[in-house]
Amino acid sequence: MTTTPIRVLIADDHPVVRVGLRNMLQADSLVTVVGEARDGVEALELARRLRPDILLLDLAMPIVAGMEALREMTAGSLNTRTIVLTGLIDNRQILEALQLGARGIVLKDAAVEHLSQCIRAVMQGQYWLEGRPVQNLVHVLRDLTAQTAPPVRKTFGLTARELEVVTLITEGCTNKDIAKQFGISEETVKRHLTNIFNKLGVGNRLELALFALNHDLLPTTEGK
Amino acid sequence: MPVNETTLASQVFDQLQQAMACDPDGFMELYRDYLADAWHALRTLRDAAQLQRADDVRANAHHLKGSSMVLGARAVAQCASALEEMGRNADVQGAGAMLERTRQALQEVQSELSRRLGAAVVPGDKTAV
Repeated sequence: MTTTPIRVLIADDHPVVRVGLRNMLQADSLVTVVGEARDGVEALELARRLRPDILLLDLAMPIVAGMEALREMTAGSLNTRTIVLTGLIDNRQILEALQLGARGIVLKDAAVEHLSQCIRAVMQGQYWLEGRPVQNLVHVLRDLTAQTAPPVRKTFGLTARELEVVTLITEGCTNKDIAKQFGISEETVKRHLTNIFNKLGVGNRLELALFALNHDLLPTTEGK
Repeated sequence: MPVNETTLASQVFDQLQQAMACDPDGFMELYRDYLADAWHALRTLRDAAQLQRADDVRANAHHLKGSSMVLGARAVAQCASALEEMGRNADVQGAGAMLERTRQALQEVQSELSRRLGAAVVPGDKTAV
C-alpha cells in the first residue's frame, strides 16, 4: 500500500534556512517539498498554484509579512494548512496567528526535532503548539486570551465621572478647569471630590494624585 | 573533547547530516553558505551599529538569528536575538560588546565545523572581522 506524500511549501526569505528545512524534510519519506517562496507575495502565488497540503510560513518576510500572508491564505478558498515557523513569538502573536488560521507554531531552533511531527499532527487535524499536539484548542485560546488581555482597571468604587475628575486632578487642573471642561458647576466638582476623598481615604489633592499613580487608577495612554 | 552544545547543537547537526547523507557535498555547502552569510551579516551589523541605524541592526540581526537557529548555532542565535532586541528598542549604543560576543561565537562555530567537516567548510572570502 502506498501513501501519498504530504506536499509542503516552504516560505522564508533566508536561502540558508530554506535549504536547511528542505533537506530536513526530504529525509522524511512521507513529506515532499513542492516549492520554496522568498517573500509573502511569492508564498501566496505558489500556494494558489501548487495547492500544497502544508505551508511552512516565516512570520518576518519582506513585501508581504507572514501575518498578512496568513490572513490572505485564510480568506482564500485553499485547503492548505499553515504552520508558522518563527524565531521567537509572544502570546499575543500566537493568539493572532491562531485566529488567522495557523494550525501549528514551531520555533526555528526546534525545527529538526519537531517539524515532521508537527506536519503529521496538523495533517491529522490537530493543532501544534509549544512542541506538542494541542488536545483542546478552546482551552489554549482561552488561556492565551486571558494572558494577553489588558489588566482590568481597578476603580475602588468610583463612578465614571469621578474617575474622569481624578484624571484631571493628576494633570494639575483646578476645580474651575474641571467645571469648565465638563460643563458643570464648581460646587458639583467639589461634591465629586468629597466623594472621591471618602471612597479612597485620602485627604487632599496631592494624596489623591499619589494614590491614583500608585494604584493604576489612571487610564492607560496609547504608545506610552 | 566534548562539543559545546551551545556552540553547535549536536542533535541539529547530526540529524541534518543524516538527512543529507546521500549528498555530503551539499551538506558541506549548506554550512559553508551559512558561515559566509553569517560573517557578511556581522559586517553589515557592525556598519549599521556604527551609523546608529537601529532598524538595519534589527533586520540584519533577525536574519542572522533565523539561520543560526535552524542550523543549531545557538550561541550565535542568542547574540543575534539580543542585537535584534536592541534594534527594536532603537538603542544600539551598547551594541559593540554584543557584536564582539557574536564574532567570538561565530568563530567558535566555524572552528567546530572545521573540526567536523574539514577546512573546506570555511568560506573562501571569509576573514574574521
